[in-house]
Amino acid sequence: MQLLWSGVFLVPGVGLIAVFVVVPILLTAWISLHQWSMYTPLTQMQFVGLANYQEVLSDPTFQQALLNTFIYSGVSIVLTVPLAVFFGIFLYRPAIRGRTALRMVLFSTYMVPTVAVAIVWGYLYSPLYGPFNEILSFLGLPSQPWLGSTSEAMVSLIILNLWQTLGYYTVLVLAGLTQIPQDYYDASAIDGAGLLGQTRYVTLPLLRRTLTFVVIIAGINTLQVFDPVYVLTQGGPVNSTNVLTYDIYQTAFQFGRAGAASAMAVLLLIVLAIVVPALLHVARED
Amino acid sequence: MHRRKRSATREFVATQRRARFSRLTLVVGQYILLTVASFVALFPLLWMVASSLKTPAELQVLPPVWLPAHPNLDAFGTVFSVIPYGQAFLNSFVIAAGDTVAIVLTSIMAGFVFAKYQFRGRDLLFYAVLATMFVPTIVTLVPLFHVIQAMDLVDSYPGVMLPQLANAFGIFLMRQFIRGVPDELLDAARVDGASEWTVLWRIISPLLVPAVATLVLFAFVYQWNSFLWPLTILQSQDKFTVVLAMSRLLSYTSSIQFQNVVMAGAVISILPNTILFLFLQRFFIAGLAQTGIKG
Amino acid sequence: MRKIGAIIAALMLAAACGTSGQSAAPSQPVAASAKAASVTITYLTHWPPQQVELLNKYIAKFEQANPGIQVQVRAVPFGSLLSTLRAQAGSPSGPTITGIYDLWLPELVKDGIAAKAPTAQAQDIENNWPANLVSGAVTVDGSVYGYPNEIDLYMLNYNKKLFADAGINSPPTTWDELTKDAQALTKRDGSGKITQQGFGLINSWDSGVVHPWLSMVLSDGGQLLNGTTPQLTSQAAVETTTLYDQLIHQLKVTDPAMGTSNANTTGPFLDNFTNQKTAMIVMANWWESALQSAMGANFANVGTAPIPVGPHGSAAHSVSYAWLTIVNAHASSEQQAAAWKFLQWLDDPGSGDTAGAAGMGDLLMTMGILPSRNSDVQTFQSKLDTPFLKSYVDGLSSAAPFPIVLGGAELTVAIQKAIESVEFGQATPGAAMQSAQSQAQQIIGQYYK
Repeated sequence: MQLLWSGVFLVPGVGLIAVFVVVPILLTAWISLHQWSMYTPLTQMQFVGLANYQEVLSDPTFQQALLNTFIYSGVSIVLTVPLAVFFGIFLYRPAIRGRTALRMVLFSTYMVPTVAVAIVWGYLYSPLYGPFNEILSFLGLPSQPWLGSTSEAMVSLIILNLWQTLGYYTVLVLAGLTQIPQDYYDASAIDGAGLLGQTRYVTLPLLRRTLTFVVIIAGINTLQVFDPVYVLTQGGPVNSTNVLTYDIYQTAFQFGRAGAASAMAVLLLIVLAIVVPALLHVARED
Repeated sequence: MHRRKRSATREFVATQRRARFSRLTLVVGQYILLTVASFVALFPLLWMVASSLKTPAELQVLPPVWLPAHPNLDAFGTVFSVIPYGQAFLNSFVIAAGDTVAIVLTSIMAGFVFAKYQFRGRDLLFYAVLATMFVPTIVTLVPLFHVIQAMDLVDSYPGVMLPQLANAFGIFLMRQFIRGVPDELLDAARVDGASEWTVLWRIISPLLVPAVATLVLFAFVYQWNSFLWPLTILQSQDKFTVVLAMSRLLSYTSSIQFQNVVMAGAVISILPNTILFLFLQRFFIAGLAQTGIKG
Repeated sequence: MRKIGAIIAALMLAAACGTSGQSAAPSQPVAASAKAASVTITYLTHWPPQQVELLNKYIAKFEQANPGIQVQVRAVPFGSLLSTLRAQAGSPSGPTITGIYDLWLPELVKDGIAAKAPTAQAQDIENNWPANLVSGAVTVDGSVYGYPNEIDLYMLNYNKKLFADAGINSPPTTWDELTKDAQALTKRDGSGKITQQGFGLINSWDSGVVHPWLSMVLSDGGQLLNGTTPQLTSQAAVETTTLYDQLIHQLKVTDPAMGTSNANTTGPFLDNFTNQKTAMIVMANWWESALQSAMGANFANVGTAPIPVGPHGSAAHSVSYAWLTIVNAHASSEQQAAAWKFLQWLDDPGSGDTAGAAGMGDLLMTMGILPSRNSDVQTFQSKLDTPFLKSYVDGLSSAAPFPIVLGGAELTVAIQKAIESVEFGQATPGAAMQSAQSQAQQIIGQYYK
């Protein structure tokens, strides 16, 4: 009886995921073994074995994109997570008024479509018309090229991402904080622990699972960054912001090398399949 | 502790004063932090709104003008005249709302099974579903287009919606929450002769309000903001979503003086998400907390 | 495992059926089914909204004269045009007509997307367009595939006011003069940062980078391809890249950070020139309208002149490229016939608002783009004789078309990256061209054995 109902309840959700996620993944893996321009039907692909993988792995552009993606993702996480914890704790403490307002303000950036964010930030970074360089010159600092230089373009994209997602991760941390029973804080207060002590010995250890979750979500989101690169830099200048998703997109849709692009996609999946379980494993060690 | 109790009265008073002083600094510091953080978060949004109200002449001046001298709404009219932005709004709404309703329903059903039923391979299946949460859009983009094309659904609402009707995050969220519902409650209903269908929709679902509110918010925002998939599957301008229309607006801005039009488009694009958030925000931290993320 | 294989097989079968044109007459939206025996065709373009509006006006005129044919415009941003085509062209519901960059044509022909022009239209094209354009831009393996519309080439654009301020009377005609003038035109602040750029170089946009560079190479006696062999380590290519390196790193008259452009080809590169902070650039005629709207009265300061000639060149040569409208070979035969009919009408004298002009000619002129039909060039002669456009029109006869080869888009990006790596000080000109050459050989080698 339960088995029947399991079927009834599972088929819509799991069935859709199977058809529209799992099958396309398998097709991607299949395409990665072929040469195919995408203009022609799938049946006219030409089998080339692992040649695409060989080519992709030895391609300096792909290597650079892989490295850039890790830098973007790593730096974003290293900056975002501690800040999210900081603001989470700050907003969780009932000491001052205006916290709800700040919570909403922080989270509001997450509501803005990334394409709109990229467009707005493109203007903010504009060396001539943008307010950022105005602020710098007001402070007596030299104006910056931002997206126009190989050394600053990636940093600029990371700042954009930090701005957009910090509120979202702060809210995740807040949700985790509400799970920590007040007793623990009371107990540590009796032991004379201050805010820092409480954070160090109560909050952070008990937030461990939440933080793992936040790191994983942030990892997935940053590893597939696309919209700001597409709108603002097209991977430039000189590949300095070329990330995996953009490289795959360009290889498939601009160059018409769907086989090579699929090989890159499979490699991206393999990276994720290693990184995510590793993180989960670390989190489970108590 | 003991030592402190034994300390001299004078020292105690001094400590108290220091404590009061440092508490004051703490409070002031917190308000400063509050203000600075709010400003940093709001600044790009304020710039966006201010730019949408500027005149073309103001947008072209150097150094840039911070606030419009005579705020005007011309750009908001232009957005609707250069592209069918109203239609795009409707399209986005149909797509995002339809997807969201479907995600909620499919997630509750699948989440219920993973939380409360026992069968062989259940957990394996659950983790397999969970794993799809980590699959980037780009990985499935090309074949997915061909799957939709094989169904003859390119450039249609169903085509853009179909692959989005269920997702692992929703199933995960609901499973976590339903696990917290006591079994006794379900068994009591079953003893009273309720079918599994009734148990799910009459007994469990009413308890899911915060979780559903959370899922609705995340699903709607995600669908409203999504770019890559609609870009691939939608072709005609009268089917474009707001985000696609916005990227189309960029073609209009061969020059900085049209920045107000693009910014007006951006301002409008944020409204539905914001309204939804204002309605649901009181649920959703609780929702996230109770379902979310404790593993 | 077998199950998975079965699923893949089933899906591939389904996908194959979907793409091979089995359902030849695609189910079209309500508009088409309302009128019996009518055919709806779609026109994919990257034109901005103003031009789409104008196009729709001509379409209304055409539809009135040709009841039973409906034309719908699908417009996407320039940056999304190729990806849209890539995703959608193979399907029967894809665009019937597409305005494409000629570089994409060989691949569209190879993969059976572009339909051959029917005899009547092919003859129309051969009779009424310049022969070098027909053979260079719309012909593959002896067959004509579409109506050429816009033609673009590159000239030196310079700011006469800044030239006058620096005491220079005329634009440079040689690289020596170019470097000399650029030095005189450059201003720096106390820290040495460039505040006025002598010569501006664009980056972050593939053909925007490669076309001006190649124009300089051509004007130094070089070429991009000899047959299908890349010539990136040739004397002219290395000399041009070395010139870039000198302008940026030795003479410091060019600042790459002032040359960035975004997906819509706007950004600091455009801003600096329109704000008269860049004295010279090499750019195409199509952006006249962008300059006009951004500069207002200052547009009168913009002068155009032939590309400066390099030490081993004998004359100025620009790269030229064309856009053309093609018809999708996957569309139904009724749609294809209607599409060719529409294109012939749109490109025929009399469909435009200007007496004797084709609708297409009128459309292109609103964007400051050179029309290509002989009669349109005649009709608009007086309009083309402006201070800005004149040198472009004069340069047409000596321009060399950008070679249309398979892998052209990828080749362009590879060269772009090599040039940018020099601009941003990551490689020497020699090394950059060496690596571009080997990449180019690999890219071209995929298609031409």
